[in-house]
Amino acid sequence: MAIPHFLVVGAGIVGAACARELAREGNRVTVIDSGPGAGLQGGTAAGMGHVVVNEGDPDTLKLCLRGRELWRSDAPPMSERDSYWETGTLWIAEDEETLLQLEGAQKKLESVGVVSERIDGRQLIKLEPALAPDLAGGLRVPHDGVIYAPTAAREFLNASPKVTCHFGVSVKNIGDGMVELTDGRIFEGEAVIVATGISVLTILGEAGARLAEKVSLYPREGHLAITARGTRILDHHIVEAGYQKAAHSTSNHSISNHSTSHHSTSHAGSKSGSVACAILPRQTDQLCLGSSRRPGEPGPVDPNMMMRVIDRCERFVPSVKTLPILRTWTGARAATSDGKPLLGPVPGLQRTWIAAGFEGLGITQAPAAAELIRQRIMGESCTLDPWPWDPARPYKNNSALTKRESDHA
Amino acid sequence: MRDSICIHVDGASLRVESHQTVTSALMRSGISAVRKSPSGEPRGALCAMGSCHECRATVNGVRGVRTCLVNVEEGMTIEREQPVLKTSMGVSVVHETMSFETDVAVIGSGPAGLAAACAAAELGKTVTIIDESPGPGGRIWSHRGSPPVEARPWIERARIAGVQRLQGYSVIDGKPEELKVASVKDGTRHRVLCSSVIIATGARERFLPFPGWTLPGVVGAGALQSLIKGGLPVSGRRLVVAGTGPLLLAVAKLAVSEGAKVVVVEQASFADRSALAIPLLLSPSRWRPARELWNSLRGVEMYTSSWVTAARGQQHVQEVSIRTPQGIKTLKVDGLAVGYGLIPESRVAAGLGCEIDEDGFVRVDEHQQTRVPGVLCAGESTGIAGSESALDEGLVAGIVSAGRNPRSRLLARVRRHRFWGQAIEKAHPLRDEVLQLAGAEDVICRCEDVRAGEIAGCVSRREARLIHRWGMGHCQGRVCEGSSMCAALEGSDSVRPPWTVAPPEARIETSR
Repeated sequence: MAIPHFLVVGAGIVGAACARELAREGNRVTVIDSGPGAGLQGGTAAGMGHVVVNEGDPDTLKLCLRGRELWRSDAPPMSERDSYWETGTLWIAEDEETLLQLEGAQKKLESVGVVSERIDGRQLIKLEPALAPDLAGGLRVPHDGVIYAPTAAREFLNASPKVTCHFGVSVKNIGDGMVELTDGRIFEGEAVIVATGISVLTILGEAGARLAEKVSLYPREGHLAITARGTRILDHHIVEAGYQKAAHSTSNHSISNHSTSHHSTSHAGSKSGSVACAILPRQTDQLCLGSSRRPGEPGPVDPNMMMRVIDRCERFVPSVKTLPILRTWTGARAATSDGKPLLGPVPGLQRTWIAAGFEGLGITQAPAAAELIRQRIMGESCTLDPWPWDPARPYKNNSALTKRESDHA
Repeated sequence: MRDSICIHVDGASLRVESHQTVTSALMRSGISAVRKSPSGEPRGALCAMGSCHECRATVNGVRGVRTCLVNVEEGMTIEREQPVLKTSMGVSVVHETMSFETDVAVIGSGPAGLAAACAAAELGKTVTIIDESPGPGGRIWSHRGSPPVEARPWIERARIAGVQRLQGYSVIDGKPEELKVASVKDGTRHRVLCSSVIIATGARERFLPFPGWTLPGVVGAGALQSLIKGGLPVSGRRLVVAGTGPLLLAVAKLAVSEGAKVVVVEQASFADRSALAIPLLLSPSRWRPARELWNSLRGVEMYTSSWVTAARGQQHVQEVSIRTPQGIKTLKVDGLAVGYGLIPESRVAAGLGCEIDEDGFVRVDEHQQTRVPGVLCAGESTGIAGSESALDEGLVAGIVSAGRNPRSRLLARVRRHRFWGQAIEKAHPLRDEVLQLAGAEDVICRCEDVRAGEIAGCVSRREARLIHRWGMGHCQGRVCEGSSMCAALEGSDSVRPPWTVAPPEARIETSR
């Protein structure tokens, strides 16, 4: 009997994780990517690398949590410098009002079994002496951490000899279970998993265009900077509470922004974008400083945006401007119009799957998303309810959403 | 006037002469390593001109100061870089920034920059030179005390024409009408508002990695020249000057005149170099300097078709192996200077959006104009052709930036210089052996301690950078870019701010 063969388009963290999942079941997997190697493009290359159980709706929380579980227990072998490092996340409230929101966040986390710990202003300084002394308090989520995503993507693909990679090639056409390259080569398989981030609907041609009428996918640019070695003055991943609010304020479809008392974080809906403090310590003894969000593809580094990011970081870590900065860069997150990733079969196709639109949580969620894709493709029972992310969700009320798997209660 | 002043190195007081760079003062005091690499190797100055960042230290409490760009001052504290403490006592204060307005901003104060500044200023433009070094002259006219004879008329002309100088500043970001500069000493940021920019950032040495090249005491050939001019005594020292190109002879001449015992090791063959005879015959102005150079090198041990294969030593280079046509020779040395020619310094140009060719040179038209309106480029960053060429190109750029047309005689001279530059290049082709000296275990990226074996299988620059961290440190790839291993990688790098890594923009003010 022939060994089943699967195709994965996109060797970012999500595509690579999918390839590993399918290969570990004994399948043959062919990976196709336009870049020069695994994990060298898109959010995998540009992202901070945080693994965060983010506050949000319960479904998102569960996907994050499962992703984190898998990073902790099932990451591919990597050098100490690149492996999962549990920094914990410290969500920080600037004032009492934001602190109240964190209490709400803690309850949400608790509801899915995520341990977190409330920290008052005084403890905060003991925990992280580099923080500003006037912050109201925070919430510590201990098992969050950081992973070096480009290496992780590479090692996902190296994990099995059953995975074959084709780099530096571009896709001309994706049919049902088939990928045609611009160089004329055609690959066929049991199924194709398309995980190319922001370009996923375009690359899917007609089927993608049909889906795009229901759920749009758009880029959100972000700016990041990294400090020199020897500057790791923080042990935790520091994120200002309200990051989510700032994060969604550039979206037209976003949850409305009720609070007006917050100054620099919210510029709802504006083209100028929003910034929020997110500082991630790295194992190379550096700090990654972020972040900004504004609609659009990543452009050249905008000095004003970069300045706003660093000014915002300074509000929380006052000495941040005393650290030398080595590099700055931009990247984009692929966001969907309803804020949830597209994870499942492409509506109207039988053997073509999609895994994209994670908006800044792709690294956190990649192992869980890959597991889910594998479980659905192989007809196994799913660890998580797959329907919240099914690409057919906008068709909910018509017949397009037929539960092809009856495995999940 | 040189005074004796007191500096503090890692807490110990040291008496040194004034008017010299910190690197030079430290080396004179026997301190050749000022920092440790990520894997703990001792490291010291390599380029002595601000490119390699290997000499960086914490100076007067400011992190990341390149000690080769800063002069010693009374009471100065110099410390090896330590991790920043997690506690932050005191308040972070951002230095006050200023805006300078000028018609023409000239980046670099070597021959091209000085000539450009003079020409533009004499035609009525207000001109500001921005340069990383403490004084004018650039690498080729680096000096201590009074500038060399060739430089004096230009420095004087610039002064008379009212050229402003921002010495000790790097251009780290900006656009053609507004440059952001940072002090190499304390990180202070300023803005320079201008209507045109003349880039005269010159060239830096090409370094080719070999076993032992990271040892303190192994410096660039041009670096040794600068260090000696800056006051490093070499009398009685055994020095090997190796690599390729006419610079080796100039460095050897200087070292011999200062009393050093010099061995020159040139990788090019005698046959290749004799190709220079014809261009030399066609260029009478070069006869006298060539003869003087030749005479001054009498008695210097010289090997051609030879190259350094390894340097060895504990904490400092002590022994050098050279491959000669007669076999391997091992020499006991006090220092090794190696340089394999020059490569253009074009990061600022790239940052400003200028077109860069495949060899890294800035593309300019006959009037030294780049494709970016209002941005001109002159000197070695447009092509390696020596200081006379840089001067003439600088004049052209200065004249054009003032809205005038340069005379055709000047333009013809620039074309002739280019011819000479190409002849020199052709006479010193790099042989394959020197491109492949580094073994798998040898460091190729000094900032991040990336070893040759790690990137041996890499196809693209992106992979080498993102997976193996090649070029991800302070020098931003300036040192390893010239090595063949990097040239073989596919893809190019985008230049993003900071164009040069500067000390931080704020300092900690301890509570009073």
